[in-house]
Amino acid sequence: MRIFHKTSFDFIRFRKIAYGFSLVLLASGLISLAVKGLNYGIDFRGGSEVLIRFDKNIDVSTVRSVLDVAGISGSLKQYGLDRSFLFSTVFNGDTNDLKSLVSHALDDRLKGNRHEIVRIDAVGPSIASDLKWSAVKALLASLLAILLYVGFRFELKFATAGVVAIFHDILTVLGLFSILGGLFDFMPLEMDQSIIAAFLTIAGYSITDTVVVYDRIRERIRGQKPSEYERIFNESMNQTLSRTIITSGTVLLSVLVLFIFAGPAIRGFAFAVFVGILIGTYSSIFVAAPLVYDWLRLSKSPVHLRGSKVS
Amino acid sequence: MKNKRFNLLLIAVVTLVAVWSLWPTWRDYSFSTHLGSFKSGPDSLRYAMSNRDEIENARKKSLKLGLDLKGGMHLVMEVDQVDLFEQKAWNKDAKFAAIMNTVRTKASQSDARVIDLISAEFKNENMRLSRYFYDIRNSDQEIVKKLEKESDDALGRAKEIIRNRIDQYGVAEPVITTQGSRKLIIELPGVSDENRVRNLLKGTAKLEFRLLRDPEILVRTLDRLNTYLVQNSVAPPSAPVADSSAAVSARLKAAKPVVAAKPTSAKPLYDVIGIFQNGTAYTTEHSKEFVVSLLHRSDIQALLPQDTELLLSAKPDIGKNGEKLFPIYLVRKTPELTGGVITEAKATFGSQGVQPEVLMSMNSEGTSKWARITGANIGKRIAIVLDGAVYSAPVVQSKIPSGNSVINGIESLEEAKDLEIVLKAGALPAPVRIIEERSVGPSLGADYIRAGVLSLAWAFCAVSVFMLVYYKKAGIAADIALVLNIVIVLSVLAGFNASLSLPGIAGIVLTIGMAVDANVLIYERIREELDAGKALTSAIEVGYDRAFSSILDSHVTTLCAAFLLFTYGIGPIQGFALTLMIGTAASLFTSIVVTKEIFSFLIGRNLMTQKSFG
Repeated sequence: MRIFHKTSFDFIRFRKIAYGFSLVLLASGLISLAVKGLNYGIDFRGGSEVLIRFDKNIDVSTVRSVLDVAGISGSLKQYGLDRSFLFSTVFNGDTNDLKSLVSHALDDRLKGNRHEIVRIDAVGPSIASDLKWSAVKALLASLLAILLYVGFRFELKFATAGVVAIFHDILTVLGLFSILGGLFDFMPLEMDQSIIAAFLTIAGYSITDTVVVYDRIRERIRGQKPSEYERIFNESMNQTLSRTIITSGTVLLSVLVLFIFAGPAIRGFAFAVFVGILIGTYSSIFVAAPLVYDWLRLSKSPVHLRGSKVS
Repeated sequence: MKNKRFNLLLIAVVTLVAVWSLWPTWRDYSFSTHLGSFKSGPDSLRYAMSNRDEIENARKKSLKLGLDLKGGMHLVMEVDQVDLFEQKAWNKDAKFAAIMNTVRTKASQSDARVIDLISAEFKNENMRLSRYFYDIRNSDQEIVKKLEKESDDALGRAKEIIRNRIDQYGVAEPVITTQGSRKLIIELPGVSDENRVRNLLKGTAKLEFRLLRDPEILVRTLDRLNTYLVQNSVAPPSAPVADSSAAVSARLKAAKPVVAAKPTSAKPLYDVIGIFQNGTAYTTEHSKEFVVSLLHRSDIQALLPQDTELLLSAKPDIGKNGEKLFPIYLVRKTPELTGGVITEAKATFGSQGVQPEVLMSMNSEGTSKWARITGANIGKRIAIVLDGAVYSAPVVQSKIPSGNSVINGIESLEEAKDLEIVLKAGALPAPVRIIEERSVGPSLGADYIRAGVLSLAWAFCAVSVFMLVYYKKAGIAADIALVLNIVIVLSVLAGFNASLSLPGIAGIVLTIGMAVDANVLIYERIREELDAGKALTSAIEVGYDRAFSSILDSHVTTLCAAFLLFTYGIGPIQGFALTLMIGTAASLFTSIVVTKEIFSFLIGRNLMTQKSFG
C-alpha cells in the first residue's frame, strides 16, 4: 500500500500562505493567553484536590450544594465521565481535616449513595513554585540541546529554523490550551506537569520530521547552485512526504489510543501530544524547511553542510 | 559474515537477558493467580507455605507497580529549618525573634535556602551571626558552615526517625529519600489508613516533663493578661478596669469567642478563659483556637512570669453539661527532663482496664534524674508535655526510683499504639511539615491498571496491524521488533527495580508509535531504491545505510528531551520520561539490528521478493 506516492506539490510557492496561517494560529493563541490566560493545575497552582467517586449517578450541582451547605469552600467539577467529581480547594497542610470534612458532609447528606475518596493530591505553595521552575528549566534546556545538536549535525541556519518550528508548535498547543481550557468536561486542559512532559515530547518529536526533510535536502543540495535551491527543496519535501506522514501517523495512532483508553488523568497529556505532533508535522514541511530556504535565499551564500555522504 | 554472527549473538543475548529479567514477574503473576484459584482459605495457605521461598523470591524480583497503580501515598515533607536554627541560637531576645519571623515568612514564599535568608537578614540589620549563634569569635562564614552541617545532620536524623516510625507501623517496601537540604520524599505503597500515617509522620514527638506553677500564680498571671488586653484595646476610656478574679468562675457560659476578641468587652480574657474554684483554668472548644493564637503573641508571652509558658491540654475534660473543656496550664519553660532518656514505651490499658495509656521506662541517667526530680517535688504537679500539648499533670506522690512514667489522657488504644511508636523512634530534631501529598486509593489504582493495559493492547494492535497492511511482509519484521522493544522496556524496569506507573505506561504506548518510525524510514528508503531499479539485497543494504542518519538524529533529540524531563521532572513524570528513554534507546537496536537480521534470514530462504515491501 502506498499513500502520497510520487507527489509533486509546490510547497515553496505556497509557503507565504503557510506563514500567514501560522501567524494567525500563533496570534490567536497569544491573544487568548493574554486575555484568558491558562488554567493552572494543582502542580503549578498549589492546593488540594479530592477525587470523589459515587456508587450511583448523581448531579454535580447536588454534590456542590451539599459541600456548600457544609461550609467547605472550593470548586467542584465533573471528572471524566463516570460518577467522579474533583473537588479542589486551597492547601492548608492538614489533609486529614479536609478528607473528614468532605467525607462526613457527603455521608450525612447523601445517604443511600455511597461515595469513596479515591485520590487526594495536596501541593504546598513552595513545591508549586519549584515545579514551575523545573518545568521552565527543562523546556529551555531541551530547546538549547536540540539547537546545539542539530547545529552540529547540519548547520546553524537549519538548526535555528528547526527550533523556531518547535517554538511554533509548542506555542500553538499552549494557545489551544488557553482557548479550549475549561470548555470540556471530559478533558479539563489544565497546565500541569504532564503537559510539560507533553511539550518536551513534542519538542523531541517535532524535530524528528524536520530532520527527515533536512536529511534529504542535505543529500541533494551538495554542489548545487543557489538558483536550484527551490527545486531541490520542493523535490526533497515531496520525496520525504510519505515517510513524514507515516511516521507521524503511527505516533498519532498510539496517542489517540491513549486519549481514548488511558482515562482522564492522561487525557490532557494525550490531547497536547496529539495536537503537537499534528502541528509539528505541518511545521516541518511548511515552516522549518521554507524558513531555511528563505534564509539561504536572502543571505545568498552557499551552504556548507556537515555530515552529508557522497555516494 | 563475522559481523552477522555477532549481531545474531547480540540479539540472542539481549532476548535471553530480557526474558530472564522478566521471569520472576511471570512467576509472581502465576503464583498469585494460582493462589486465587483455591476454593478454601486453608488450601491456599498451605500452598503458600510450602512454596514460600519461591513466592517471596519471585515477588522481590518482579516488576514493581508504581504507587498510582497499587494505591498508596507519596509524601514530600519539609524539615522546619527556621525552627531548627532557632533551637541552636542562644541569648535569644525580641530582636532575634523579629528577624526569625521575617525569615519564616520569606522562607515560606520562596525556595531560597533558609541559611541564606538568615545571613541576608542579619546583614540587613548590620548584625553578626555570632551574637546569637555559637561562639562570639566565630566569623559569619564559619557559623553559616556550622549551621549548614547542623541542618544536614538534622535532615539525616529526621529521615532515620521517620523510617523507624514507618517500620514500626508496618508498611511493605517504603522508600524514603532526601531531596535538597530540607526535603524528605516518602513513598508508602498500599497504605490503607492514610489518616493514621499522616498523624504518625507529622508529630515531632518531643516529650518533656515540666513542673507546673502554683495555681495562685496562674490566676495572677491571667489577671495581668486581662488587664493588659483591656489597656491595649481601643475600648472607650470610661470602661471600667477589669475586676479581680474572685467571681469569674462561671462566666464561660456567656462566652462568645469571636466576639470576645473585640475590644468593647471589659474582661476580654475571661470571656474565653474560665477559672474553677480550685484554681484550674480552662477554655472551651469554641474559644480554643482564639486562645492558642493569643498565647502565641509575643507581647502576651512577655507578660508571663520568668521562664514560664501557658500550655493547653491535648485532650478535653468533659464538663457538667457535656461540653468539652480544655484545661490551661502554667508550666516552667525549661523542662526537668526530656524524651531523650526514654528507652522503652508500651501501650496498655490502665489500672481500671479501660483507659489506654503508655508506659515508659528510662535509661540510667534518666532514672537517677527522675528520682531526684520527683523526690524534690513531692506534692507538686509535673506536666507530661508532648509536642507542646499537656497530656497529663499528675501530682507527685512520692519519689520514683524506678525510672518509670506513664502518659494517660489518651482517647483510644490506636492512639496509644501510635504514641508508643513515635516515642520509641525518638524525637525529630525539628518539626516536619507535609508540603506535598498524593494518595491514590486501591480502587482507582485498579482502574488505572485496566486503563493502562487496555491502552497498551490497543496501541500495539493498531500500530502493528497498520505496519502489516502498509508494508506487507516487511511489516512482520517491524512487529517482531516492536514486541522485543516492549519486552526490553519492561525487563529494564524490572531489572533495575524501577516501578511502572500510569505515566510510565503512557511512555510505553508512545514508544510503540515511535519505535516503528525507524522502520518506516528504512522501508520508505528501500522502496525508493527499489523504484530506482536496484536489486532487493542492495536496496535493503542502501536503505538501512541511508536512513540511519535521520534515525539517529531523531532518536537523539527524543532521548535528549526525555532525559531532561527525567532530570527536572518530579515523581510521576519521571516514570514517563524513563520508559520513553528506554524505549527510544531500545528501538535503535530492535528497529535496525533485529529487523535487518530478520530480512537476511528471510532472503537466505528465498522468502522475500521485491513485493515484500508493499
